[in-house]
Amino acid sequence: MTFKRMLRIITAWIVVLTFFFPIYYWTTVAFKNAKEIFDVPPRILDFTPTLANFEKVFGISFGFGFGSQATVTPGGGNFYMAPRLWDTIVVAVGSTLGAVVIATLAAYALSRIRFRGRHQFVAWVLSTRMMPPVAVAVPMFFIYKEFRLLDTYIGVILIHTIMNLPLAVLLLKSFFDDIPHEIDESAMIDGSTRWQIFVRLILPMSRGGIAATAVLCFIFSWTEFLFVLTLTQTGLKTVPVVSSSFVTSIGTAWGNMAALGAASIIPAFIFILLVQKHLVRGLTMGSLKQ
Amino acid sequence: MLKKRNWVLSDHPLPWLFPLVSVLVVFTIYPLIYNIWLSFHEYSTRKRRLIEVGWDNWSQLLEDQRFWDSLTVTFSYFIIALLIELVLGLAIAMLLDADEPTFKFLRGLLTMTLVIPPAITGMMFLLMEDPQFGVISFVLNELGILDSTTPILATPSTALAGVLLAEIWQWTPFMVLIFLAGLRSLPQEPFEAAMIDGANSWQIFNKLTLPMMSKVIAIAVLIRGIDLFRVFDYVFVMTSGGPGTSTYSLSLYSWQQTFSFVKWGYGATLSLVTLIIVLITANLFIKIMRIKW
Repeated sequence: MTFKRMLRIITAWIVVLTFFFPIYYWTTVAFKNAKEIFDVPPRILDFTPTLANFEKVFGISFGFGFGSQATVTPGGGNFYMAPRLWDTIVVAVGSTLGAVVIATLAAYALSRIRFRGRHQFVAWVLSTRMMPPVAVAVPMFFIYKEFRLLDTYIGVILIHTIMNLPLAVLLLKSFFDDIPHEIDESAMIDGSTRWQIFVRLILPMSRGGIAATAVLCFIFSWTEFLFVLTLTQTGLKTVPVVSSSFVTSIGTAWGNMAALGAASIIPAFIFILLVQKHLVRGLTMGSLKQ
Repeated sequence: MLKKRNWVLSDHPLPWLFPLVSVLVVFTIYPLIYNIWLSFHEYSTRKRRLIEVGWDNWSQLLEDQRFWDSLTVTFSYFIIALLIELVLGLAIAMLLDADEPTFKFLRGLLTMTLVIPPAITGMMFLLMEDPQFGVISFVLNELGILDSTTPILATPSTALAGVLLAEIWQWTPFMVLIFLAGLRSLPQEPFEAAMIDGANSWQIFNKLTLPMMSKVIAIAVLIRGIDLFRVFDYVFVMTSGGPGTSTYSLSLYSWQQTFSFVKWGYGATLSLVTLIIVLITANLFIKIMRIKW
């Protein structure tokens, strides 16, 4: 091993671990008791781990708590978050399904059927991705109020579906474009209709791409803040929005907050690791193929 | 040809596009028209209803110092974050562009920041930048960079930097992953030829890597740029725009006018301004850089 190569490996590890440090630090906060969080200098390695924060946030007693079980939390407030986690899951799954179903149909047409104004149509879909959420959320608030959609699952699922549609359409189009047209043509000569080609050939052949699209839609809905903040009041709330409610008049329940944060990252991280192969294509809305 | 000419199976794109077009019209065109209509009205707290005000909301923009402040904040945020994420992203991507067995793992670790809700990132940086017990404040104090009496997020001169820290931390890996994929797919021959010709590493970077990566860089800048310009989550949870107007972004200002100050018409006008700036800039960029979808 040359010196240069060694230096590169060490630098790379230092840089990446620096980026990883905040995540590590929050995780330690989630396992610290209320006193240790406020210690100066901040405790990086020497703390007594406790599950008290997770027990409070998720309302479960783990029963095998190691170390101290002190559950002194500053401030009042209701930090029982299991229902909010459920809200987040319902919204994310619902809007992912909606976006993927609508987008596969549209992406197929954009990839296979030649019609006038196709490029303008793609540009229009892309431009809806550029709309600032605030420019949509403000009018949507009044419209939702009119139609009694505020504070409903269906309302939030709808708006997250719309939010994810441009990404889903453009990404799926790029995956469908990868499938050679000869396959469609030979099936058509055999007498298949477009619909049969779509269901029996295109969909199965782009399983990986559809999965990657679904994962990204799920993550964007999972992490979305402004729409949920605006379009819900007292009913449902998703995890990102509820995170700011940990700030109370007496102080911020950092331990509970960190426990919720740590728990909310895990499912999304597992999903994204499953589609690593298509990650960059997804992040660039299908314009860069890995 | 044995094609059936009925509505669902026809070659016309409409049946396929119908669901997409209908939801996009309802949820983007209709709000847009509603917004434009709203920008010519204002909620009157006395009459308890919307009244027509003509161009008042639009002319108010010109005199509203808070609007110009928020525009300055949004532009500074946009430029600083984009530049740092771009340079840092490219540097780290080049560092990781090697066939080392452990680098795959490091790449996976970097992916992690992308799945964290920005609001939670904001809350956690709020904790880490706490003047009393925050780990970042502590380190900066120890290094003598920051006076221990200066709370990062409550001091006008440092608040924006404090928010940018969260932003840059979360999204530099986005750039790294895209650039890394770009670098990995570059052909090797030009680089080998340049090495043989005795080019130094700066020449190789400047004359080979950068031009060959220009498309990748343009796309990354476009996608991150769109999101940077409408920053909301970080400023909302970390500073609510303060202290003063030092972190007051355009999106936040527009949202607050509508929901905190019941200025529905003015809030809509501000959100339209944000929309117009993003649409024009992004479409110009797409044209100039010839980005194709």
